[in-house]
Amino acid sequence: MMTHERKRRIEGIIALTFSTLAAFLGLFWLVFILGDVLIHGVKALNLNLFLNDPAPAGVDGGGLRNAFVGQLMITICATLIGVPVGVLGGTFLAEYARGRTIARIISILADIMVSVPSIVIGTFIYAVMVKPIGHFSGWAGAIALAIIMVPVVLRTTEDMLSLVPWTIREAAFALGAPYHKVITQVVYRAAATGILTGILLSIARVAGETAPLLFTSFNNAYYSLNMNQPISSLTVTIFQYAMGPYDSWHSQAWAAAFVITIFILLLTITGRLIIKWRYR
Amino acid sequence: MSETSKKSPMDMVFASVTGIASFSVIIFIIGILYVLINESSLAIRQFGVIQFLTSADWDPVKNSFGALTNIYGTFLTTILSMVFAIPVAIGIAIFVTEISPNALKGPIGIAIELLAAIPSIIYGMWGLFTLSPIMSNYVEPFLKKITVGLPFVNIIFQGTPMGIDILTASVILSIMIIPFTASIARDSFNLTPSVVKESAYAIGATKWEVVKNVVLPYSKLGVFGGIVLSLGRALGETMAVAFVLGNNHRITTSLLDAAATITVTLANEFAEADTDIYLSSLFYLALVLFVMSFITLAIAKFFLLKAERKYSR
Repeated sequence: MMTHERKRRIEGIIALTFSTLAAFLGLFWLVFILGDVLIHGVKALNLNLFLNDPAPAGVDGGGLRNAFVGQLMITICATLIGVPVGVLGGTFLAEYARGRTIARIISILADIMVSVPSIVIGTFIYAVMVKPIGHFSGWAGAIALAIIMVPVVLRTTEDMLSLVPWTIREAAFALGAPYHKVITQVVYRAAATGILTGILLSIARVAGETAPLLFTSFNNAYYSLNMNQPISSLTVTIFQYAMGPYDSWHSQAWAAAFVITIFILLLTITGRLIIKWRYR
Repeated sequence: MSETSKKSPMDMVFASVTGIASFSVIIFIIGILYVLINESSLAIRQFGVIQFLTSADWDPVKNSFGALTNIYGTFLTTILSMVFAIPVAIGIAIFVTEISPNALKGPIGIAIELLAAIPSIIYGMWGLFTLSPIMSNYVEPFLKKITVGLPFVNIIFQGTPMGIDILTASVILSIMIIPFTASIARDSFNLTPSVVKESAYAIGATKWEVVKNVVLPYSKLGVFGGIVLSLGRALGETMAVAFVLGNNHRITTSLLDAAATITVTLANEFAEADTDIYLSSLFYLALVLFVMSFITLAIAKFFLLKAERKYSR
């Protein structure tokens, strides 16, 4: 006979075992995916990958210098466009419009924008930049990524500025400083680490984006520094190479995946560490 | 805001510049909506709304386009992945908040965040090279074998196990959304006041009963918001599924068949669209996706805000 007590205890043990298993399943996937990328990536990694341009299709050898450089340029340009807009926008919400309905609306819309499918942003940029100009371009890719960055940076900036105690601003006002001086010279300094973390995490977010680049910056088999022309990126190259028929392409795709994953995880970990250290 | 701040002209300039920057978010949303409607107007005029959404005919050769196969694929992969992901995510959240020793909480939390940070193209590529062979060699034949005599169930596992199919895509998608759901669920669980939990323990409840009868009901708004948020993300995910879904514009009943989602169709066909009506139909698809995910995300945000208000009371 099973007593009521016993039934309750067994039910509890079963349920808790399942959630423990679930947690280890999550860990299992992480180890599996990262381990796979690590093993295949390290095997394919060599100096030529960074120094050489792609060999003709099907020919062994060659590297991905064009994709590394292109990815770097697109990401840097996106950061230079997206970060100022995001930081300034967040400043408006946390300072000039603090507590107003409009700040709340924009804040909610930005939260939604963070999760809007990135491929839709790619189609949008295709319509407003690629189609009128007539060809794919690095700038189109950079602006697509910048649009993805803006809401991320804007929201973290708003949150970080809101954490700065109001009394600090009042102290500055009392010295006769106008509001913009208070913001740029006092509030920004107080929130600098937080804002920087937000920027790091937003770079991590866009550095791995592929979908918005597919029909904006497109791809380029040659080494190019011209942002007005199609430019290669690591992510689009991974897509093309992994789907392609050649083994040499596959191993280069793994190597590229390895580099981009390490880069993004390092950025993410740095960001998290800063938050932990600063806002404990 | 102090009176002196209004007097400085520099301050007016700075306020306007920041104001414009923050309005850019609204401009992007309205701009995307306007541009997508504008670009798809040709297809809207030719196929209408109801007909486009309900026609399963996607034929670039005949210039005949309907979105149903794409919508079907999007919903099927999303729902399946949610079914796989939600129990695991909730389990993780329960483990981290209630079971795990304190020393493990940090590492598992970090693992979840890292899983969330891995770009979707890595998931997609890993799915193609690693998961897909496992699925086609072991998992799918096994599923076929155990369902072979069962009526109805065997229909969903019909066909040759190729590994490039709805099932594989859904599994990858579920691995991708587990961290989102788990971290929101964890945050919601953490907000349950310990006094309430301790009261339940005091009257003799087991740990699982506390989770089931106190923590879950208390945090259901937040958890639900997190689930809808993940749903919104899954709807619009491109690269994780693009590798392993094939691009098959047919409505299939078997999970072992290739299919197409809106995102996969866009990724594969957008740069190749050679006629105006083809391109316009693709923009129309993007518009459908944008509206769908925007509404889903707005609902998620609504629940999360409601939860936030409840907890801060």
